Amino acid sequence: METARILVVDDDKTIAGAIEKLLVMEGYEVIKAYNGMEALDALVSNDVQLIILDIMMPKLDGLSTMMKVRDGKNIPIILLSAKSEDSDKILGLSMGADDYVTKPFNPQELVARVKSQLRRYLHLGAKDSANGTSKIVVGGLCMDVEKAEFTVDGEPVKLTAKEFKILEFLMKNAGRVFSAEQIYEKVWQEPAYSVENTVMVHIRRIREKIEINPKEPKYLKVVWGIGYKIEKV
Amino acid sequence: MVTRLRKFNRSKGLKATAFLLAVVFITAIVLHVVYIYYRNYDLEPLFEEEYTKSKEFLNDELTPIIDEMHDYLATSIKPDKEFHYYYFFTDEVNTYNNISLDELQKLKYKYEVLIQPWLYKEFKTVQDKSKEYTLYLAFPDDYIQKRQAVWNDIRSELIPITVSFLQSVIAALICLGYLIVVAGRKAEDDKVHLSPYTDRIYSDIQAGGILFTLFIWFYICGNTLMDNNYQNSNLTADQTISMIAIGIITAIAASICVMFLLSLVRKLKAGKLIKHTLIFAILSGISNFVRSFFNDSRFEHYPLTKSLNRRQVIFTVSSGFMVFIFFISMFINPFFGIFAIFLEGLIIYWYFNENKKTFEEINLGFQESYKEMMKSEKMKVDLITNVSHDLKTPLTSIISYVELLSKEDLPETARDYVKILAEKSERLKNIVSDLFELAKSTSGNLPLNLENLDLKKLIEQTLADMEDDIKKTNLRIKTNLTENPVYIYSDGKKLYRVFQNIIGNALKYSLSGTRVFIDMETANNYVNVTVKNTASYDMDFTAEEILQRFNRGDKSRSTEGSGLGLSIAESFTQACGGTFKVEIDGDQFKVKMGFPISR
Repeated sequence: METARILVVDDDKTIAGAIEKLLVMEGYEVIKAYNGMEALDALVSNDVQLIILDIMMPKLDGLSTMMKVRDGKNIPIILLSAKSEDSDKILGLSMGADDYVTKPFNPQELVARVKSQLRRYLHLGAKDSANGTSKIVVGGLCMDVEKAEFTVDGEPVKLTAKEFKILEFLMKNAGRVFSAEQIYEKVWQEPAYSVENTVMVHIRRIREKIEINPKEPKYLKVVWGIGYKIEKV
Repeated sequence: MVTRLRKFNRSKGLKATAFLLAVVFITAIVLHVVYIYYRNYDLEPLFEEEYTKSKEFLNDELTPIIDEMHDYLATSIKPDKEFHYYYFFTDEVNTYNNISLDELQKLKYKYEVLIQPWLYKEFKTVQDKSKEYTLYLAFPDDYIQKRQAVWNDIRSELIPITVSFLQSVIAALICLGYLIVVAGRKAEDDKVHLSPYTDRIYSDIQAGGILFTLFIWFYICGNTLMDNNYQNSNLTADQTISMIAIGIITAIAASICVMFLLSLVRKLKAGKLIKHTLIFAILSGISNFVRSFFNDSRFEHYPLTKSLNRRQVIFTVSSGFMVFIFFISMFINPFFGIFAIFLEGLIIYWYFNENKKTFEEINLGFQESYKEMMKSEKMKVDLITNVSHDLKTPLTSIISYVELLSKEDLPETARDYVKILAEKSERLKNIVSDLFELAKSTSGNLPLNLENLDLKKLIEQTLADMEDDIKKTNLRIKTNLTENPVYIYSDGKKLYRVFQNIIGNALKYSLSGTRVFIDMETANNYVNVTVKNTASYDMDFTAEEILQRFNRGDKSRSTEGSGLGLSIAESFTQACGGTFKVEIDGDQFKVKMGFPISR
């Protein structure tokens, strides 16, 4: 396996250093930059497969840097920020980031996210993922209904029959919110009565299998007081 | 002792008795007077024991006799009558007498009258008019004794009546005095208590009521009163009936008057006599109304609105004056009417012109303060964001290097230290994140994502989400939710945090084996949720203290969590438009939340 080269951009040198060491331990090659300008320079002279980019930086901030990178390159970008508001995350993701990690982050989670992004980028090639009519794709989630296969960023995940059906139903209707009763009736084919717990237990199990941080799910979300949905990415 | 006496003195029974007695005695006084009037008593025997010393004797007995004798002496025509008295007169020439002077002198009731003839033109009897003469008069003893007997009879009738009259007067005064002293006082305390019924009536109406009652009483009595009798004769049947009627009317009138009088006394004691008059109420109403026009204290700190208000008053008053001038001048000279219209035009021009300027200034001020507000709001948000960033950045390094350290090959003790560092930095991370959420929320900078959501479902989802945590404890959750969905307009994520914190607290701090109750009910367009649990420790703090930032029951100080859970729950609930209340009742810890139901 060829080692991927990762560009870590953070104005705080100790953080950049820590991330470098964490990633090196995992076998990645790391280049560091301490602001947006340096990052753009580094991109010119190096072939980079992933960027970890801090948002609040002097000279050129993360979001502007990202826009410049996106002009020519389609490599995954993970934004890193102390801003933890939903609106900040949505802004970052809509401007072209592939993931958003808030500071202070869990080092293992960051590594997991890096791995997941690289898998998608290097092994799936991002483009050919939509092939075949029996495949449902939402972000890094890919479901082959005929073969009853399910992968997250290319990594196969084992699901039970009910979990598979729930995911299938939600992924087919990605972005739409369904109540526990609706999901139950669709999946179990029985009239629903006091099924909140049953559905929630399944949702939680699915999350543990498909989400990097089940407490802050990226795909399978609870819409509190309304129902459940797969986020349309 | 004093208290007991006071209790007795001011008891309702005693007051009522005194009131009744006062009315009875006042009626008695009136009836005495009427009786004396009917009997047509001469009151003199009351003051004069001896008839011969009375004025009646002088006027009705002696004076006619002297007049009679005068006529007799002046004309020397002897009256054609039998004399019931003795007389002796001599002018040294003629002697007129029916008794000798010696015998007359022996009698007990004798009188000497000085006759001065020069005062009378036609005094024929005497020769020398310039001389004074003496007329001797005397009454037979038995005559006077008879008269004295009659006198005594009347006296013996009058004295008991008078005594009872005076007794009635004194008794009535005592009763009234007592009532006036205790009016408004109660046995329990020394305050003045106003009656909720009679004292509601305005003082002047009460005073008028007293006068009116007295007038009516006087009128009716005047019509009921019969002619009086000849002296001392007994009452007729009609007179007896009229006395009964007067008695009843007097009793009624006295009741009303005393009642009102006491009410006035109570108000006087309470210092409300004048204030509680209709006139005062009307006058103060008018004065308040008028003053409210000119009162601009409300605009004291706002010079612009103050000037608007002043101008408005000036405009209104002067316009009113112009209208007045206009109508007056129409009677005198139409020219002045046109002049008034012209002046009014000027006033209107001035009013609108000046107001426009002021409005513009106000607008400017608004803009300024709005800008100022936005600026300070932005500064607040920036401050929170910057401090948050400055705290989170070193924390990120700490967490990352602790992670790196844990991967190093370390001796056992160092490994333990790193573990503690990892735990504590994780907790610090939680505290910082909670702190900033709270700061944003309490400063009103919490972005909300409001939508219609089912609160019942939200609670069910939260409980299902926390099922693992619940199973780890020895507690049972007992829910009593509404049967149907209850929709509220709120932020689901934030409310999830609220319930997660509250239920999490309940799980952490409940006595093992007890139950946690979650009740939900709707009332008056509100949905109320109560979470109740039995504390596992002494709750030696108040509901207010627990909501203070960082305050926790001492026992839980060392465990996980930021200590901001309840504060965040409170702040988020309020930001979401709900109410949040903590109640502590013995070992029961209750959180009560209320949300308006959306339509």
